[in-house]
Amino acid sequence: MIECVLILMQSQSASAQTALSVTALSKQFGRGETAIQAVDDVSFEIHPGEIVGLLGPNGAGKTTLIKSILGTVIPDEGGVNIYGHSVADAPRQAYADVDVLFEGARNDYWRLTVRENLRYFATISGVHPDSVTKEHDRLLEQFELAAEADTPVRSLSRGMKQKVSLASVLASGARLLILDEPTLGLDVAATRTLRRELQRLVSDTDRAIILSSHDMSVIESLCNRVLLFVDGDLRADTQVESLLNSSETQHVELTASPIDSATQQRLSSCSQLVEQDDTAVRLRTKATTSTLCETLNHLEMAGASIKSIETTDPDLESVFVELTSDDS
Amino acid sequence: MSAEATSAGYLTLIRAVLYREALLFIRYPANAIGGIVVALFFFIVVFYGGQLLAGQALDDSIEGIVIGYFLWTLSAGAYASISNDIGSEVQWGTLERHITTPFGFAPVAFLKGVAKLIRTFVTSTIILGCMLVISGTSLEFAPLTTIIVAGLSVSSVLGVGFAAGGVTVLYKRIGSWLGLLQFGFVGLVSAPVLAVPSLRYLPLAHGSAMLQQVMRDGTRLWEFSPGAVGLLIAVAVGYLGGGYLIFELTTQRARKLGVLGDY
Repeated sequence: MIECVLILMQSQSASAQTALSVTALSKQFGRGETAIQAVDDVSFEIHPGEIVGLLGPNGAGKTTLIKSILGTVIPDEGGVNIYGHSVADAPRQAYADVDVLFEGARNDYWRLTVRENLRYFATISGVHPDSVTKEHDRLLEQFELAAEADTPVRSLSRGMKQKVSLASVLASGARLLILDEPTLGLDVAATRTLRRELQRLVSDTDRAIILSSHDMSVIESLCNRVLLFVDGDLRADTQVESLLNSSETQHVELTASPIDSATQQRLSSCSQLVEQDDTAVRLRTKATTSTLCETLNHLEMAGASIKSIETTDPDLESVFVELTSDDS
Repeated sequence: MSAEATSAGYLTLIRAVLYREALLFIRYPANAIGGIVVALFFFIVVFYGGQLLAGQALDDSIEGIVIGYFLWTLSAGAYASISNDIGSEVQWGTLERHITTPFGFAPVAFLKGVAKLIRTFVTSTIILGCMLVISGTSLEFAPLTTIIVAGLSVSSVLGVGFAAGGVTVLYKRIGSWLGLLQFGFVGLVSAPVLAVPSLRYLPLAHGSAMLQQVMRDGTRLWEFSPGAVGLLIAVAVGYLGGGYLIFELTTQRARKLGVLGDY
């Protein structure tokens, strides 16, 4: 009996420490031959203090996964718990701990001003708007929107509207934030501000964040962990560093004296021309013996002199392309 | 929640939703003004056209026409505003945002309904005033009884609006066709409930007959039989509840099909 109670207490404590728990989640659209398996038996957990990137090509099932987590799409199978509350059985308690930025949606009322939107969405998220006025002001300042606080959202540019939606979600106080394509329409400065704010939220308040984005630099610079989806299948759940280290896409960059177009043509089978000017040509090849030898042979036959050879580490973008295009 | 943030209760939610609706009504009056102008234009056509064709016969029944037209503008306004509003929330993606909150969409939808009702009362009262001036008619009625009877009558139509909004969530583009339903309310407002008593169970019909008595004869609420008042309340609650249930079921179906946020 005592053992049972202890096991129960341990399991409750473990679920309390898990921000999001997704178990065997599946969703299929349509039937028969035209059926699409948007999410296929996906399980993972996210803990407070983690920023997890959601990666995958278009149609991989990322948005369906996000909507299934939130219950705006009802999954065929599986369960979702947010801070220990089941989204299916206790949605109101579960939703008290989550806020979301939907991709492409307006997320705001365009006929209300920026500040009116922030106050309204704070309220429906369960937060008294007066208690987060300072936070709203700070975020408006950070996103350079302070001067537009009393402007109707409809008068703002696409990027500014996205900033309003972001400020609204970031100020909500929810312990789990789900951001679907948050950098859409943002300029470089705003993207940098978003990175800073997300890092601050995680380090100061121990929140958990899911970030779905095609902007690999944002994922690489912010996320501790990535979930890679292909055709609704969770292909990889790993630390960003491990993913980069496991890649076979290390490259070699060669700089040589200029080459003619016939040589360029011959080289196209084994290397990629990066650039050529009057003084040099830069080529990139895969770091394998065969491709490197073939490239060097072609250059030797053309009488080109090699100036330098350097290996380059892969970035997340090249790893992503490698993993999603090979279907490996 | 951050250290400074405190929870918002239902009172704060009520204030926020009603404030938002009031802001939009005041800040964007074009819709309301347009609605008043169009309603008055049709009344003028009916009134002067009817006088040319029917003469004294129209004058004898003008009070009934004014009251019926008042109730129709009230119900058409309430129906259109709630069904269009739900369609807009779907289109904008804000419906999904409401659903994923600790309050959910139900209390927000209910408060929106209340706000739309108040809003249509304001515009329909202006229309009523103009109709009385145009037709040279006067009515003696108790305002509180009128508000209660008209409010309960229109509540059943709000239920129909929720149902239509729910169907729009599922089938999207059907919304504009469902808008035509408001013209069917003319039949309900003028339903012969004395000749065919079973018509009383339809939305508006029983309420419309009671409103005629209230506004033409000055009947007070307590002067009606408990059965009549009970039926008025039952029809209002039944259609409002039924309409909201349809909205919930269609929303659930849209979530199952994954089309809630699609437009």
